[in-house]
Amino acid sequence: MMKKFREVILLLLLLSFVPHAEGTRYSLPGKPALTRCRSPEKETFTCWWEPGSDGGLPTTYALYYRKENSETVYECPDYHTAGKNSCFFNKNDTSIWVNYNITVVASNALGSTFSDPVDIDVVYIVKPNPPEKVAVTVMEDKGWPFLRVSWEPPHKADTRSGWITLIYELRVKLEGENEWEMHLAGQQKMFNIFSLRSGGRYLVQVRCKPDHGFWSEWSSASHIKVPDYFHRERSVWILITVFFAFIFLIVSWCIHINSHSLKHCILPPVPGPKIRGFDKQLLKNGKSEDIFSALVVSDFPPTSSSNYEDLLVEYLEVYIPEEQELILEESKDLHDGCLKPKGSTFDSDSGRGSCDSHTLLMDKCGEAKDDGRQTDQDGSQTGSEAQRQQAAWEQEALTYAHEDMISPDMSSGRVKTWPSVFSPLPQYSLSPLSQPSSLETAKQHCLSDSLFPPSSLSSYLTQPGQSTKEYVEVHTVNEEDMVLLHPVPVGHSHGKGCLQTHQGEDYSKVNGVDKNNVLLLQREVMEEQVDMCPCENKDANGATESYCTSSAQKSIPCIHTALPVQEEKAVNGYVDTATMFPLPIH
Amino acid sequence: MHTMAVIQRSVWALLLWPSLLTVSMPLDCKEEQGSLSGCTSISQEKLLDRVIHHAELIYRVSEESCSLFEEMFLPFPLQLQSSQAGYACITKALPMPSSKSEIQQISDKWLLHSVLMLVQSWIEPLVYLQTTMDRYDHAPDMLLNKTKWVSDKLISLEQGVVVLIKKMLDEGMLATTYSEQGLFQSDVQPEMLESVMRDYTLLSCFKKDAHKMETFLKLLKCRQTDKYNCP
Repeated sequence: MMKKFREVILLLLLLSFVPHAEGTRYSLPGKPALTRCRSPEKETFTCWWEPGSDGGLPTTYALYYRKENSETVYECPDYHTAGKNSCFFNKNDTSIWVNYNITVVASNALGSTFSDPVDIDVVYIVKPNPPEKVAVTVMEDKGWPFLRVSWEPPHKADTRSGWITLIYELRVKLEGENEWEMHLAGQQKMFNIFSLRSGGRYLVQVRCKPDHGFWSEWSSASHIKVPDYFHRERSVWILITVFFAFIFLIVSWCIHINSHSLKHCILPPVPGPKIRGFDKQLLKNGKSEDIFSALVVSDFPPTSSSNYEDLLVEYLEVYIPEEQELILEESKDLHDGCLKPKGSTFDSDSGRGSCDSHTLLMDKCGEAKDDGRQTDQDGSQTGSEAQRQQAAWEQEALTYAHEDMISPDMSSGRVKTWPSVFSPLPQYSLSPLSQPSSLETAKQHCLSDSLFPPSSLSSYLTQPGQSTKEYVEVHTVNEEDMVLLHPVPVGHSHGKGCLQTHQGEDYSKVNGVDKNNVLLLQREVMEEQVDMCPCENKDANGATESYCTSSAQKSIPCIHTALPVQEEKAVNGYVDTATMFPLPIH
Repeated sequence: MHTMAVIQRSVWALLLWPSLLTVSMPLDCKEEQGSLSGCTSISQEKLLDRVIHHAELIYRVSEESCSLFEEMFLPFPLQLQSSQAGYACITKALPMPSSKSEIQQISDKWLLHSVLMLVQSWIEPLVYLQTTMDRYDHAPDMLLNKTKWVSDKLISLEQGVVVLIKKMLDEGMLATTYSEQGLFQSDVQPEMLESVMRDYTLLSCFKKDAHKMETFLKLLKCRQTDKYNCP
């Protein structure tokens, strides 16, 4: 009794001393504060407090509570279950019908300090535990994967009876990113997430909240990897294909629209032949007479001497060996060759000009060939004969011209001989195909040509270097004002192979054609007096003609009497060589 | 010793005096207050809502328990017999309004008191039911959990109704008179079938009374909000 009394006295003294003590390190404990109270399932709750300074002395804490409208003060039933500085209220002590008024008291040897009281309504402090058993699986919906997240409510929360109603929320993010994608799931315990990245790794978390209360903590993160899927790639390829097909259609349409101009650009048209001053329509529509009359140019051949200079073209002595001749006979497309130069005959722009007797001769030969072919079946042979003839003529004309050029005595003769070469030729080439008389003469001409043995001709032709000449003889003049000529063998030749001469025929050179379509012939040399010539005389057959040519201008000792020339009186008039006095040989 | 205790208590009372002063001052009450500085008392509407919610849950769970019990223990022919039942509900003797016209005439006070009477009369039988059901050989855990849950919640409901009465009617607390309800005594172990029948009767009666409680409370709420449209 006495001991206890002493203790009490001491306690009172201590209490009294406390206010007077100054400057000592001991003091009343600092004011504690209730930090939070939480109920996980609305059936129990826990309160935590924060202690103040302890004042240097060992301090104890106590929690007291009072129920609403009741004066009874109760002390915390359980200080240990929830940890340090906490008070746990179990089921029996928890009532949802009343508020709690809670105070924490810190006390040490010097005194006690009370915290501010706090009123608690259990229903409003509910913070559930995080949802449990969060399961994430990958599922497929028509090839597109999606995540199915399922979970269970915290086991303490009684949602089955409806005591607590929880709503859930989940969040998803890709590994390595910082932004979460939130989804509110309501009261359901399962959720689908779409729009996933192929091959991505995702983290999923879930939390819950009662209708009145706090959000729980996030559940631990669940990892899931979405498998790679190629549907997106396939759709991208389809898009690309469609796009390119569209582009292709557009391009092909543009090309189709511009096909004409493109064709001109890529494949330029080949320029066709053009004859200056010649109307192409005549070829399509007109008769042949019109065509050929159109081809005739009135001022051709140029008669003025001033044009002679233009006509003079330097020549190359062309010399065709036997093989080439054969090739020429067989494979030469004379028709084309004849056509082509025909166009250029009157084209002053081309380098060849009208002096190109080579081409002129070709024209003539082509025509002859055509005549022969069209008229007679033997025309093929005659055609070949004509080809040979033409080749020979070419050579002859060239050499003749050459001879003309080089002989100094014949300035005038040379001048004169030009037209003699040229003038008959165009006329000849214009021989119409449909004239029977001309055809007959051509036929005769061709036949006469054909009688000439080919071998002799070829042998004749193989002799190189021989300057051979040919002369044309006016055969007849037809109604069309055409002079039909045929070659006349000169009869004299220097070398061998000179064949029979054609006797009894006169020849004359045409000097010119005047404007009245009168041939002005020039009395040239010679008849084919063979005796004096070194030509060989063979074959007294008069029907044959020989291609023995000799240079009339050369001083050949061949002299022969002038034989009567075949002459016919043409409609337009012609010059009778026989009547003309014989010109001196030169 | 006695003096020491008195001195201790007096000292504590002195120390706690300031806190008592602060506590007695009412604070402003806010709706949906989640913070610590909440209201001193829960509002009447909130209380009534909670009580109704409570009663709904009890009824739902009791319904589930009853159906479970039927499936487990009762053979089919006896299900028909139970409605005719030799066993009357224990609360038959209570003065309850039974028809709709009677309920319309009853006052709020009587409604609340009826509810309280019902609740209080069922607390002990349910406890008894727990003990008997534990004796069964193969009673499923779910059934046992449900019945236990119901009995716990019923006690809580009683507390709530008491608080509600106090709030609404300004009447003092009515202590539960458990001792008066000592109808069931586990003195003799009855036969299995008889026991089963009795338990089943108990459960089905309780189910009906729980529904009655819920209906009364909802009617009360209806009268609070809109007096003239309520049934």
